[in-house]
This record gives sequence, C-alpha cells and structure tokens, in this order.
Amino acid sequence: MTAHQIIFYCLAALILITGLLSVTCPKVFRSAIFLLFSLIGIAGLYFWMEAEFIAAVQISVYVGGIVVIIIFSIFLTEQAGKETRSIHPVRTVFAVLAALLGMILTYLTVLNYDFVESNEAFDLNIPRIGNAMVATGEGGFSLPFEVVSILLLAAMIGCIVVAMRSSITKPDEKKLTQSITEIDEA
Amino acid sequence: MFVTQYIKDVFGAIKSLGIGMRRTLWYFVRPKEIITQQYPDNKDTLVLAERFRGEVVMPHDENNEHACTGCTACELACPNGSIKIVTKFDITPEGKRKKAIDQFVYRLDMCTMCNMCVVACPSDAIIMANDFEHSVYDRTKLTKILNKPGSKVRDGIE
Amino acid sequence: MWSLENITKSVDSWLNLQFSPTIAFLIEAVIIMVLVIGLFAFLGLVLVFMERKVSSFMQIRLGPNRVGPMGIFQTAADTLKLIVKEGFTPNNVDKFLFNLAPFIVMVVAMVVLAPFAFSKGFQIWDVNVGIFFITAVSSLGVIGILTAGWSSNNKYSLLGAMRSGAQIVSYELSAGLTILVIVMLTGSLRISDIINAQADGWWIFKGHIPAIIAFVIYIIAATAETNRAPFDMAEAESELTAGFHTEYSGMKFALFFLAEYANVFIVCAIGATLFLGGWMPLHFGENNWFNSIMDYIPGIVWFFGKTFFLIFVIMWFRWTFPRLRIDQLLNLEWKYLLPISLFNLLLATVIAIAGWHF
Ligand code: SF4
Ligand code: SF4
Repeated sequence: MTAHQIIFYCLAALILITGLLSVTCPKVFRSAIFLLFSLIGIAGLYFWMEAEFIAAVQISVYVGGIVVIIIFSIFLTEQAGKETRSIHPVRTVFAVLAALLGMILTYLTVLNYDFVESNEAFDLNIPRIGNAMVATGEGGFSLPFEVVSILLLAAMIGCIVVAMRSSITKPDEKKLTQSITEIDEA
Repeated sequence: MFVTQYIKDVFGAIKSLGIGMRRTLWYFVRPKEIITQQYPDNKDTLVLAERFRGEVVMPHDENNEHACTGCTACELACPNGSIKIVTKFDITPEGKRKKAIDQFVYRLDMCTMCNMCVVACPSDAIIMANDFEHSVYDRTKLTKILNKPGSKVRDGIE
Repeated sequence: MWSLENITKSVDSWLNLQFSPTIAFLIEAVIIMVLVIGLFAFLGLVLVFMERKVSSFMQIRLGPNRVGPMGIFQTAADTLKLIVKEGFTPNNVDKFLFNLAPFIVMVVAMVVLAPFAFSKGFQIWDVNVGIFFITAVSSLGVIGILTAGWSSNNKYSLLGAMRSGAQIVSYELSAGLTILVIVMLTGSLRISDIINAQADGWWIFKGHIPAIIAFVIYIIAATAETNRAPFDMAEAESELTAGFHTEYSGMKFALFFLAEYANVFIVCAIGATLFLGGWMPLHFGENNWFNSIMDYIPGIVWFFGKTFFLIFVIMWFRWTFPRLRIDQLLNLEWKYLLPISLFNLLLATVIAIAGWHF
C-alpha cells in the first residue's frame, strides 16, 4: 500500500465513522459536530484528489455555511444537553431500508459506468472555472447558474416575507394605546 | 435627500473616528504624558492632588485648640453614621454651663469620603486630608478620636 | 546573498537525497509543524505584550513594567501561570464538546496559515485557490466558538456564542467582497500570483480608489471577525462576563486566548498580502534605483513589518472606540459596509476591465 492509499483509507474511514455517529448520536448538537467532521473529511478527499477549488467550495459552503446554520437552528430550538426522543422502531427499519436502497442504487450506477483510469492532472485554473460558469455554449454552466440564482432569490424573498409577517399581524398601535387609556381611566 | 444623507453619514463617521484616533495616537507617541505613579517606589516624592479625599481630620493649632463647637451638624450630615459626637458641659469662668465637645469619634472603616460632614460644619472645624495609607491589622484601630487629648475649642467660635 | 528560499530548497534536496520521498515529506511536515507551533507561541507572547503596551500608552499608563526590563517577560510569566493552573470543567457540561472547542479554534487558526507566503519562496503550500482557501477555512473558527458557548451550560456563554456567530457570519460577507476586489485586479487566487502582481507597486497604490475603499472596509470587517473591540459583543465583559469562554480556565482558556491573537495575526497578514504586497518590498514602477535599494531589506522583514503595522492599527481601534450595541453592529454591516463594498466591487470591475489601474 502506498502512502497515497493509506491517506485515502484514513479519510474514508473518517467520513464513514463520523457520518454514522452523526445519525446515531442521541445528542443533537454532537450530531452536528460529527456531521461537520464528515463534511471536512469529504473536503479532505477533494484535496487528496487535488481538486482544490471544489474542496475549498465544500469547506466554505457546507462546513462554514450549512453546519453553522444547523448549529444556529439547534440553538434556537433544542434545549441544551437534552437527549432527543427515541425513534419508533418501525421508523428505524424504514430509515435503514431507505439508506440501503440508496446505497444499492449508487453501487449499481457505479458498476454500470466504467471509469477510465487517468493520470492527467485536473486543469483547474480559476479563470477557466469562472468562464465556464457564465458560458452559454458547449460545456457552459450559465443556465444552471441562473436557475440556482432564481431559486436563491425566491428563498430570500420567502425569508423576508416570513420575517415581516409578525409586523403585519401586529395589533394596531392606536387601538392599543386607546384601550390602555380606557383601562387607566377606569 | 436620502442618498446625500447617507454619504454625509459615512463621511461624518469617518471624520469623527479619525478625531478619536488622532487623540489616542497623540498620547501614544508622547510617553511624557503618562500619569502613572509608581507608588511604593516614589513614596517620598509622591504628590497628591489637593482635592484628593483620604480621611477626615480635625486641624489643631499650636495652642492645641480646634474649632469644633460640638454642634453635631456633621453627625447629622453623615449618610453612613461614621461620626459620633460625645459632648460634655464645660463651666465657663462666668459660671455658665457651656456645651463643648468631649470626643469626636470618627469611624474610618465606615466612611465613604463623601465630604458631606466637611460641607455641613458651620465652623470649618474638620477637613479632608489626603493621607491614604490606612491599612492596619486590627480594625478597631480605624475608630479614631479626632480631637486631641486636652484640646479645647478656640476662643471666639460659637 | 542568503535567502529563505535557498535554505528551504537546500533542506529539501538534502532530505530527498538521504531518504525516500515519503520519509522526506514526513520529515518536512514535522519541521513545518514545529515552525508553525513556534510561530504561534512567539505570536502569543509578542502580541499580548504589544497589546498591553499599546493600550497602556494610549491610556496614558505605563503597562507591565516589573517582570524584566520594560516588563518584556510579563507574558512569559502569564503563560507559566496558565499552564500550572487547574483546568476546571463545570458540572453538567457536554465534556466531549467542551474539551473539543478550544482545539477546533486553534487547529483552524493553524490550518489557515498554510497558503501564506512569509517571504519569497517561503510558503507552506502554494495552492491555486490560496486566498479562497484562507477565507473558507477561517470561517470554521466560528464553529469552535459556537461549540464552546453551547457546551458550557451557561447562558452567558450561549449568548456570547450567538452574538459572535451572527457577527462573524455577517462580516464575512464584506470581508469576502473586499478580497474579491483584489482578486479581480490580479486575476488569480494564488497567493504567489497576488504578491508577484504587486512587484511594480502595492495594490493599495495601484488600485487607487476601489483598493483604498476595500482596504478600509477590510480592516473594519477584520476587526469584527476577530471579535475585538469595538466589535467585542461576543465577550462584552460588562454584560456577559467573558462570553463564550466564561467557563474555561487554565490551558483551555489559554488556547482561546492564543487563537484570538493568532486570528488577529492572520487577518492582518491577509490584509498585508492583498493590499500591501506581502513580502514584496516597496516598489514603484520597474527597475529603478529606488526598487533596488528597497530590495536589500529581506522579504520576511517586509512581511512582518506590514503585518505588525496592521495589527497596531487594529489595536489602535480597540483602545480608541467604545463598544457597539448589537443593532448598531448589524446596521453597520448590512446598511453601510455591504452596500458600499458591493458598489466598490462594481467600480473595481469597471476599472479592471477598462485597465484604469496602474
Ligand atoms: S466624609 Fe462622608 S461618610 Fe465620611 S464621615 Fe464625612 S459625612 Fe460621613
Ligand atoms: S466638626 Fe463642625 S459640624 Fe461637627 S460638631 Fe464640630 S463644629 Fe459641629
């Protein structure tokens, strides 16, 4: 086994073990931290493949963004240190089945597609990635890029609407002060 | 307009922050301005400000006379009850009984150096001294009699 | 003339001669680890001392002056004290996370150091996404802070962590946008490219208006990202005792403390690299007598000089301005810094495309 392979197996073990821990851990905050390590492991895998850009994106979007948001939502919902309620066994069975199904699906896809081994290094200079992002021709990602931005825009507007809801339904200030003065007079 | 106000805000903020930073830099490059007293080292040359309030004292002149008439105005003025005036009655040469001070009991441990007693005193008999080395091993030592033994009130002070 | 580049090259070739490439690589990794840890220890000692001296001079005080001449051994004595102090773990905390948090913060600070160029050719890892790697990884530090706040089982810690999270996440935006300005002017994310592009003048001079605006915004955002006054809501002593590290003591507290100063160094080093040319000496134009005189000063001196200058500026902020309220803090970011940096990015794009920079 070469050092290269050893590193791969270490990373794979890290990803799998922490991934497993993150779904089995009864404490929800710990789950989030294990998820964090799992995602970092995936980023490590990208670094191992020398796909630095995608690795950095993985870190900044998934680890630095998603996990932080998950942690924030835990702060706002869960009570500190409480263990989550145990799940109904039937649901556990279905969850395991769903996971297995996903695994089989992935495995079959991997089998059906013959991967050609290549020793070529990725050509990953940044201007090329940037150009591909806005190119409309062959191999360009302009359309998905725009679709994703529309999705994000919709999500943002949704956030604003949700945040503004409370002020719309807020009781009329005038009425409030009126009733207060009435109470005072009485 | 909104935009001009916005831009004005930004530049105003930068300007006022700049003023603050200039002031701290001014002090930073002038170590001579440092006002720290290296206390135990410069004990002999230490100069305290006139207005520093360290404790209440009652000045006596060379004839061992003070100006306190025993009116208890200071006792009443003290918010902490750190002053207790014990009075006695002197017999004047004319044979009249006259109220005078026996003991001015001052409890330094309860005093907050608020200066109320000094302000209240009608005859300026007490002042604030700026001695601050008050630590003792026994707190009963902090209860002091301010009038010296055998002292009496200066003539002409009612 | 000797240079750090030659030293690293000769060490590398010597190791490769003596051992197989894998072993040589491992030995180099160990050397780098020792150097990084040494740098952090050095930074901890020097920056804490510097902070105390700067603050005291700005406040017309003397600062530490008893341990050694001018008190230079004060921080060493403090470190010794922290090492021998009891590391206390309160009741009912999540022990695993409680102990993990300081290490997350510290490790993140160490990993971020990888793509920095300390001098010509003296760089751990010249990765092609350099500056993006730095911003991506440094955003992980907040997870350590959140973990510390949550696992401490203390409401002050939790509040401090929440504030710090909200603050770091929002100020990362404008910091990222200002970094983009320079990335756009350079056309590369690689740190060595960014520095080499400044061989005929630093970006703050070459990029004129957008670069200067970006620099100012970057410094403000960097101060906020490191949770330092006037943005120290996360540990506002007067309201939250010490924020997220209230419950930490001994060496674990020391790790947080060290990581804070390491982060100050890192953000200042980024600022120095992007705007002030990193290790690049002060150059104007190409190949004139001025440049050759400046070249006599080694790159590492330039790098640390610029970084420490920026650190001084950040300390200067800290000891001048009062703390912001949380709503003022978020207003500043979302209503001022972010729109301004977006417009600035637009301006920089126009300038970069039209070639109006020097
Ligand atoms: S200084 Fe204030 S507290 Fe002290 S004895 Fe006078 S009145 Fe009382
Ligand atoms: S010190 Fe002044 S106020 Fe107090 S009893 Fe004497 S004369 Fe009256």
